[in-house]
Amino acid sequence: MEIFIWDSIFPEFLRSIKINAMLKKLFILVLLVASVGAFGQGKFIAKNAYISFYSSTPMEDILGESNEAVTIMNAETGEIGFQALMTTFHFKRALMEEHFNENYMESAKFPKARFNGKIEGFSKDMLNAPVADIKITGKLNVHGVEKTITVPGTLGLENGQLVGTSKFKVTPENYGIAIPSLVRDKIGKEMEITVKATYLPFGQ
Amino acid sequence: MKIKYAIILVLVVIVIGAGIGLKMFFKPHADVSKLKAEFKVEATALIGEFEQDENAATDKYSEKVLEISGKLVVKNKLSNGTDLLILEDEMQGISCQLDSSWSAANQETIEALEGGNPVTVKGICKGYLMEIKVSPAIVVK
Repeated sequence: MEIFIWDSIFPEFLRSIKINAMLKKLFILVLLVASVGAFGQGKFIAKNAYISFYSSTPMEDILGESNEAVTIMNAETGEIGFQALMTTFHFKRALMEEHFNENYMESAKFPKARFNGKIEGFSKDMLNAPVADIKITGKLNVHGVEKTITVPGTLGLENGQLVGTSKFKVTPENYGIAIPSLVRDKIGKEMEITVKATYLPFGQ
Repeated sequence: MKIKYAIILVLVVIVIGAGIGLKMFFKPHADVSKLKAEFKVEATALIGEFEQDENAATDKYSEKVLEISGKLVVKNKLSNGTDLLILEDEMQGISCQLDSSWSAANQETIEALEGGNPVTVKGICKGYLMEIKVSPAIVVK
């Protein structure tokens, strides 16, 4: 199965808004039209997508949230690209944020987490239908380690807007993230990842 | 007598250690309004640096306090209530999420902001993902 690469769709997208100011105005127009409803062509983008990271410990629950993730969906093929900056995850305690970035994710070395995948059994009708369950298979790249995963999710219209969500678990050890033995027993083996994106159409 | 002093010494060390540990654990998030900007930059120049060499610019600015002056193009509220300001370009500009406690105390300043006008913000640069991400941020003027 051919999985599209973010890097191929991303510069193409940037170029498409760079070409000239007219195209940009067109783009804004498209955004305005989007409020009427999602149509099943071209690409969709969500610039302030939500992603959270949750782990339960006996002492305190650890929750990191970011609403600065970016995701692009190809409405023709059902391919999805998703990227998040590790440093944008916000935690309740400053110390958690510090440990997350410095000890675990090594955000300076690996600033972004990426997912490139495809919706299984995709059809354009899914973009104009009520929210339904989907499955997405693709490559998740976290902490510089890439793994192929299949995750459950939902996709469909919610109050006239195209919304995609996903909730799945990852095991940090699989991505080369070492957790000191002292805290290892106190943190759940798996971390829960929650994603929610409200897509807007752009381009052709 | 000596043992007594030794016990007192050990207790003092434990109390100090616990104190430092608790202080670290409950350390509050940085208050951007009180932090000094490490870099004062023009928005367009900053965007240029990230476009030219993302890695070098990320190394230079990520997690640093920046004071950025530029043109406000979008003023928005995210679904979680966070105020969002975008400078220079809606899609590839500088996206600043305002500090929630600062926002709550300075609603009038935020309401007075108008698209197209110059604005200066101060905040922590988080790196580049299609646009430059700055959060949390406050409005300087």
